[in-house]
Amino acid sequence: MKQQSHRKRKQLWETVLFTLPALILISVVMYIPFLMSGYYSLTEWNGIAKNPTFIGFANFAAIFGGSSNFLYSLGFTVKYTLLFVIASNILALALATALTKKFRLANVYRGIFFIPYIMSMTIVGFIWKFIFTQGLDKIYDLLPIACLKWSWLGDPKIAFYSVVLVGVWQGLGFYIVLYIAGLQAVPADVLEAATVDGASGRQRFFKVVLPLLGPSFTTCIFMSLTNGLKVFDIILALTKGGPGTATYSTTMQIYQEAFTNNNYGMGSAQAILYFIVVMVITQLTLKLMGSKEVEL
Amino acid sequence: MGMHRKKVLGKSLVILVLTVVALIYIYPVFLMFMNSIKPFGEVVADAIALPKEPTVENITYVVEKINYGSLFLNNVEITLIGIAGIVAFSSIAAYILDRNRGRYSSVVYTLIITPMLIPFQTIMITLLKAMNVIHLDQSKVGLGIQYWGFGIPMATFIFFNFMKTIPKEIDESAHIDGASTFRTFISVIFPLLKPVTVTVIVLDVMWIWNDFLLPLLMVNSSPKTKTLVLAAYTFVGQMNTKWQYAMCAMSLTVIPSIIAFIFLQKYIVEGVVAGAIKG
Repeated sequence: MKQQSHRKRKQLWETVLFTLPALILISVVMYIPFLMSGYYSLTEWNGIAKNPTFIGFANFAAIFGGSSNFLYSLGFTVKYTLLFVIASNILALALATALTKKFRLANVYRGIFFIPYIMSMTIVGFIWKFIFTQGLDKIYDLLPIACLKWSWLGDPKIAFYSVVLVGVWQGLGFYIVLYIAGLQAVPADVLEAATVDGASGRQRFFKVVLPLLGPSFTTCIFMSLTNGLKVFDIILALTKGGPGTATYSTTMQIYQEAFTNNNYGMGSAQAILYFIVVMVITQLTLKLMGSKEVEL
Repeated sequence: MGMHRKKVLGKSLVILVLTVVALIYIYPVFLMFMNSIKPFGEVVADAIALPKEPTVENITYVVEKINYGSLFLNNVEITLIGIAGIVAFSSIAAYILDRNRGRYSSVVYTLIITPMLIPFQTIMITLLKAMNVIHLDQSKVGLGIQYWGFGIPMATFIFFNFMKTIPKEIDESAHIDGASTFRTFISVIFPLLKPVTVTVIVLDVMWIWNDFLLPLLMVNSSPKTKTLVLAAYTFVGQMNTKWQYAMCAMSLTVIPSIIAFIFLQKYIVEGVVAGAIKG
């Protein structure tokens, strides 16, 4: 009996000791700054003055009064994310389906689609800036397709799609390999049974393979959702949010508010709202998908 | 027979389309490499033409101008420090949390993995201030330590899920032989975690090596602490019209990743898939 409680105590003591470094490190970089953000969101502070001035909910009132770019940037981010999720998942699934066919260079092809994913997003933004500003005109000379003459970064409407295009290009390889893993997990005997039952290729894909891909869909949609909501580096390198404010993401807005305009209080308020929006969207999506998923 | 031929034809068509798509897909990367060995005049005259007189002048200029060698070492240092801490602290935390289940450990586990949900931009403003107070800013080691905190949640999650597959009898027999919990972890459990350690390393190397915003906030002010991506960012900004130098700096920044990928494709892809499915 005594030995039992001694062992229990030792276990607890060890649990505390071995998890303490992790807890301290996480608190220092995440929890404490998070709580500080909560406090600073209620203040006016330029980052230099010794003490921030407490102003209650004035920052939030100003945001919802529409005096900052925040709500607009939120609209952009949601629109961007929506298109990013849809395009990434459709294209990745289509390419993954083609890439799971057996052919000699299959691995090389898979590698090709994965390469942009291992490159820094800032560099990716610059590469495309070069293509949009220097390359497309020249390609047009060889291949006169009207869209190559568009002002991809100069026209606010088109710039939105340019940013999505580059975002999708960079991340696609990631979703492709996830879908490939999902497709390869579809049992061969299930497919054979469907063939024996006289299902056509298309029927097999839509009626058998797709429903069995449930977990891959959940993972890919969730990952593309969070990645879309966090978009920053690519936009900074490609358009800096422009032309005008056409491609201003929320992350960019928070960054500028704090580090360019030195409104740390206002920036923190926007950061908190951004956090709430991201939480609500991701949790709702998870709930929705959790109820739809088909388990094998 | 007709059916079979149709099938083969269909497959060839798919591969043909795939080839065209793959070539278009990789073209931007090819264009970057190509323009990084063209002289200024050729880039301006025709960005998509093949180099007529390839030159290494761009490379020598950029390597010297941005001090490529020392930036590369900065990247290596920051990444190594980051990885070492993430793997060490996460694996041992996951081990103890799995073995000593109880109310306390489930609270701790929740506290450790919840930050996976906090977007970085939510905390970056105050992070800068907090790191300034405890002097972890403006330093490579400090940045590496910050990565520990940011990397531990996901890594612990991955290690924890894998721990379940290692039978308890293994550490119990080590205990009977008189080994302490720590000793057991180091010499018996940690080696068994190898496959999942590879996953964690792959994911975190890719992340830390290419990370932009955190280094921008923490180590951008001095060339002694800068990372490759930061230097390329600044440099490209300055070389707005000298695209040949910009392209060259960008190429030099991504080449290490591409070489690593070519040799380690299998591990990288497997790690990324495993990380996403478990994460």
